[in-house]
Amino acid sequence: MTSDDARHRFTRAIMPHLDDAYSLARWLTGNATDAEDVVQDACLRALAALESAEVAHPRAWLLAITRNVAFTWLAKNRPRDLVLAGGAEDAETHDGASPHCDEPSPEAALIEAADRRSVEAAIAALPIPFREALVMREVNGLSYREIADATGAPIGTVMSRLARARALLIDGLGRVSL
Amino acid sequence: MSENEKQNRALLLQADFDQELDAAGAVKAERLLAGDARAREDRERLDALRRTLRRHAAREAAPETLRTRLLVQLESSNGQGRIAAGYCRFARPSWRVYAGSIVATIVVTLGLQHLVEELAAPDRFMPYVVTGHMRSQISGQPVDVASSDQHTVKPWLASKLPLAVTVVDLAAEGFPLVGARIDIVGATPVPTLVYKRREHLVSVAELQPRSVNYPEVPALRMMEGYPVVVWKEKHRTYAAISDLPPAELEAFVAAFRRAASKIESVPARN
Repeated sequence: MTSDDARHRFTRAIMPHLDDAYSLARWLTGNATDAEDVVQDACLRALAALESAEVAHPRAWLLAITRNVAFTWLAKNRPRDLVLAGGAEDAETHDGASPHCDEPSPEAALIEAADRRSVEAAIAALPIPFREALVMREVNGLSYREIADATGAPIGTVMSRLARARALLIDGLGRVSL
Repeated sequence: MSENEKQNRALLLQADFDQELDAAGAVKAERLLAGDARAREDRERLDALRRTLRRHAAREAAPETLRTRLLVQLESSNGQGRIAAGYCRFARPSWRVYAGSIVATIVVTLGLQHLVEELAAPDRFMPYVVTGHMRSQISGQPVDVASSDQHTVKPWLASKLPLAVTVVDLAAEGFPLVGARIDIVGATPVPTLVYKRREHLVSVAELQPRSVNYPEVPALRMMEGYPVVVWKEKHRTYAAISDLPPAELEAFVAAFRRAASKIESVPARN
């Protein structure tokens, strides 16, 4: 039996962050229907956890749960993505923040001119650890510390993942129309 | 520049861009940006990327179907015991069937009323508060019990409604108590206190705190030209309305909350 108190706290503290959780799940799973399932699952976990826990930062907390549920979902439905993600993880340790060091970097104007479809495709093409860091930062507006807590990665790793994600996007979007 | 230096430089610029640096770090980044054209270009690219993402990959609203599913889960988790997290993963082909049964469950076991109140308040109830206040002004009879003494007003309300209404004296703050009346909000009689400032009246209705949609901090909105402030306390929800300027109504609400919290924090008498 879920107590009234937990349900009350859930509607008050967790429901307002549904859009954030949904957006994160949407980018991690890659489609709307699965995102709904993931968020629903995450919310039920949150509700169960509220029975015994006080939550200081409900938004970051819900996003962390959503992220974990999404990863479980990925392991079950898209194991290949996670394997690829492991490879990217290795690459980020020796590669610098900028993937094409020798070529000139793309113009800011080109990046800004990118259309929706290429933006979505470029984000979807990011390896998962980069993608989640980018979405948590740029879409959800989490701090480095909150992203580190949610993903269980050290803050330095979060920073370099974010830098890699951005460099890949800048590179992909800036060259798309050349 | 070595690979390592390059990376550190990129991380510093990025952390500055994300406003994650302390003052010392920010100065370092500022110097780098001032003295290095390539750093400025990098910064421009980060800015451009952010603008593009804002435009094309903004936060999306969760679909209504998801909200409804959650509200239903929330309700049923009360009656049917805690639901194991994995249990409610929907098999997609049967979604329609499931949606049908969800609707049936709500209607049969809970009634839609509760859900409607959850979702519609405060928007559904505020118009009643506004019309109550307007009527009281037009009739020239803003109160059913006229007294500036809280110890008269409170027992009078207690005799009409099964509620322990918090009546506070705000004469010292410049809002003397005028009295109280009973307003009908929805189909529910609610106690409304009336205060005065100069020639203006302030009505404060105490609402049924059923909905979660009421804001925790006082929220000002304009309705029919009147400023209305709605807020929720621990066990009560209030709506205050007046023909005062909005800032003065907010000052009233602040004074009211201060005084009420003093009363409510008096230790239980037992």
